[in-house]
Amino acid sequence: MRIVMKFGGTSVADAERIRHVAALVVSATAEHNVVPVVSAMDQVTEMLLDLADAAASGNSMQAEALLKAVRDKHLAAAYALGAQQAVTALLERLEGLVRGVLALEELTPRARDAIVAFGERLSCAMLAHVLGARAMDGREAGIVTDDHFGEADPLMDLSMYQVGQSLGPLLDAGERVVVTGFVAANQHGVTSTLGRGGSDYTATILGAALRADEIWIYSDVDGLMTADPRSVPDARLLARLSFAEAVEMGKFGAKSMHPRALEPAAAHGVPVRMRSTFKPEHPGTLISDKQAEGGAGAEGGRVSIVRCVPMLKNLAMVNIGGAAMIGRPGSASEVFAALAGQRVNVHMICQSVSEAGISLVVGGGQLDRAKGALEKTLRGVGSPRTIEVVPNVCVVAAVGSGMRGTRGVAARIFTSLARAGVNVIAIAQGSSEMSISIVVEASAGPLAVRAIHDEFSLGS
Amino acid sequence: MQVTLVGFGVVGRALAGQLRDQHALLERLTGGAVVLAGVCDTRGCAVAPRGLDIDALLAHKATGQSVGSFSSSTGGEGAIARGFDAGFGPAQFVAAQGRLAGDAGPRVVVESGPSDLKHPAPAVENLLAAMRSGLHAVSVNKAPLAVAMAALLEAAAHNRVQLRYSGTVGAGTPVLALARQAALGDRVLGVRAIINGTTNFILHRMASQDEAFDAALAEAVRLGYAEADPSNDIDGVDTAMKLVILANHLHDLRDGGHRPSYADARVQGIRGLSLALIREARARGKTIKLLGSIDVDGGLKVEPTEVDAGGPMDTPRNVNAVCLSLERCGEVTLVGRGAGGPETATAIVRDLVDIARVHRGG
Repeated sequence: MRIVMKFGGTSVADAERIRHVAALVVSATAEHNVVPVVSAMDQVTEMLLDLADAAASGNSMQAEALLKAVRDKHLAAAYALGAQQAVTALLERLEGLVRGVLALEELTPRARDAIVAFGERLSCAMLAHVLGARAMDGREAGIVTDDHFGEADPLMDLSMYQVGQSLGPLLDAGERVVVTGFVAANQHGVTSTLGRGGSDYTATILGAALRADEIWIYSDVDGLMTADPRSVPDARLLARLSFAEAVEMGKFGAKSMHPRALEPAAAHGVPVRMRSTFKPEHPGTLISDKQAEGGAGAEGGRVSIVRCVPMLKNLAMVNIGGAAMIGRPGSASEVFAALAGQRVNVHMICQSVSEAGISLVVGGGQLDRAKGALEKTLRGVGSPRTIEVVPNVCVVAAVGSGMRGTRGVAARIFTSLARAGVNVIAIAQGSSEMSISIVVEASAGPLAVRAIHDEFSLGS
Repeated sequence: MQVTLVGFGVVGRALAGQLRDQHALLERLTGGAVVLAGVCDTRGCAVAPRGLDIDALLAHKATGQSVGSFSSSTGGEGAIARGFDAGFGPAQFVAAQGRLAGDAGPRVVVESGPSDLKHPAPAVENLLAAMRSGLHAVSVNKAPLAVAMAALLEAAAHNRVQLRYSGTVGAGTPVLALARQAALGDRVLGVRAIINGTTNFILHRMASQDEAFDAALAEAVRLGYAEADPSNDIDGVDTAMKLVILANHLHDLRDGGHRPSYADARVQGIRGLSLALIREARARGKTIKLLGSIDVDGGLKVEPTEVDAGGPMDTPRNVNAVCLSLERCGEVTLVGRGAGGPETATAIVRDLVDIARVHRGG
């Protein structure tokens, strides 16, 4: 099989773990044609972003300190791995860039990408050294993006072709490579980064372009669970999920993949396996086109309609009310334009047919910004409206493609919540019918998750 | 309009001649003078922002020399020429043409190299380099489109330039445009196409003269219908490349799926086809043609196939035919003469005029 293996930051956090990853790759290489994709070492991307900002504000002391921290971290790992040479040259180039930014006290998104990309370049160089493989960045691998530095979108068809051209012949010739995640370039070869989805996105683009048999996403968890085990002690690992279910789960927590990163794999039908670096023998969670064996939602012989119950915490709700909104076209547009203007990400939206109010769920950290933006815009136009906030809420979701067209799912969910004494603040269900999102008070979140989890017998 | 020509073979030279001969007509149709601002062959390039002296250039090329040694004294105002080396080849030449001084009209690169399916990457790179540099692109080279059409169309959209290729299928007969026009507003269920003149000449000769394959092939070579190495034609490669381009051109009028490329086509040619099969088909009122077909699921296939003798697909000699099966309008068949150097050059001119019109916002 041809397999793209992606290793996250915790999987390459130090020399020992890089050696462990290398051993994983080597043992897989005995059986498969392997393309490893690697993230920056744990914490390094954040350090580089801070470094870039410090340099841009002319804070040379902080910049020097951060630069030293980045250098020390990589040199320590590199010495242990005997990879000083590969790392030193890269560190020198990074230092040169930072000095440039310090001198100019100016940081364009393009320059920020050039600096941040060193995280992946450095980890890639070290892993490649250990493996005796060729280190390639995303540009050399053929991933081409538009010019939106910091959050670049791949030119997907062009990338598919170029990856096939650049990596295809190398792999066919049996050459070993390691590719940087997250890093790409625009069509003129200027470094860009993929933003949301990051290294996972790199892995799925390569997997689709190289017609891989599977894409293995390694992290520090065994796979995707029916619920957060901290809330639900008997939560189980999901052996299989459909792409559609995985996309629904993508919003909830860092352990799942960003929906954007699932797109290339779903479009080209390449299965994605999420597994743990630390338990390589564990098969993890397989995300694929195929329904779980035994029909929708079958899991170890049991059929379940709801597959998992993820929860999103640290949220706040904003209720906008007022009779003036009823039947007036453009009300919703004003609300969302105001929020978009302040770059507030809206997680959930509810409005009843009466149109007397719109309820929104936003990140807890963005609440003040959201409230400010709405007050400024909506009160300004003279129509009397109320803006009310509920600061501490969370969203609990029931996800499963078996919910589509199945009657009585909502009844079971809400009955179970009532039995558990959980007060439901708001509800949203999209037309995909693959998930129902329920807003509850933050303190009631774990209770709500357990109630739904038990109702659908998802535990072990 | 500044035209830059990559490849100076039969088609390229025919185009240069046509630009010279139709100068006044083209100026009227495109809204400005059309000049040959640059040309390259495999060994070098010549450039003149205000236009190369086409007569002198053709005479120079006729002596067997590369355009890279074209004399600057006779080449036209401001003409320069140079040979290619490891650091400066066709793609670098094309990119440099994007920085050329000159009029405000559209700038177009024409890729007219041979359709080499074994090594399509350089031609893909020429087209990408053109579009990256903000130049419109025309390709009569089928190979880059056959392997990377989706990528090339995406690059065109991203750079807001036009990519045209009407000369790749049917050449003199605008098969692609006509097929698209015929299918607009309807839904394409399937396509069957005779789009390779050489094989059709051979099959027609076998059927009408009761001649064996080898004899018919020899006749095709003698009359200039087939090249000395006819493999690309008789093994179905040329038909398959054209079929991929046709399928992509009709992509949004069919039912979704990926844009196909050459790797998606199942290809079987007519090499060594037995005369007995043709005789047997004839006895049943049929004849055998090399058909390229797109089925309902988007599957691409090239193979010798029986069609009704005397029907619309039973075309003589090198005459092409494309039969569209449409959901509402039923079968629509387009018939027209296939390719040659002058016909292909005319197709390029057609693309240049279209580019100028769209560029002006007309």
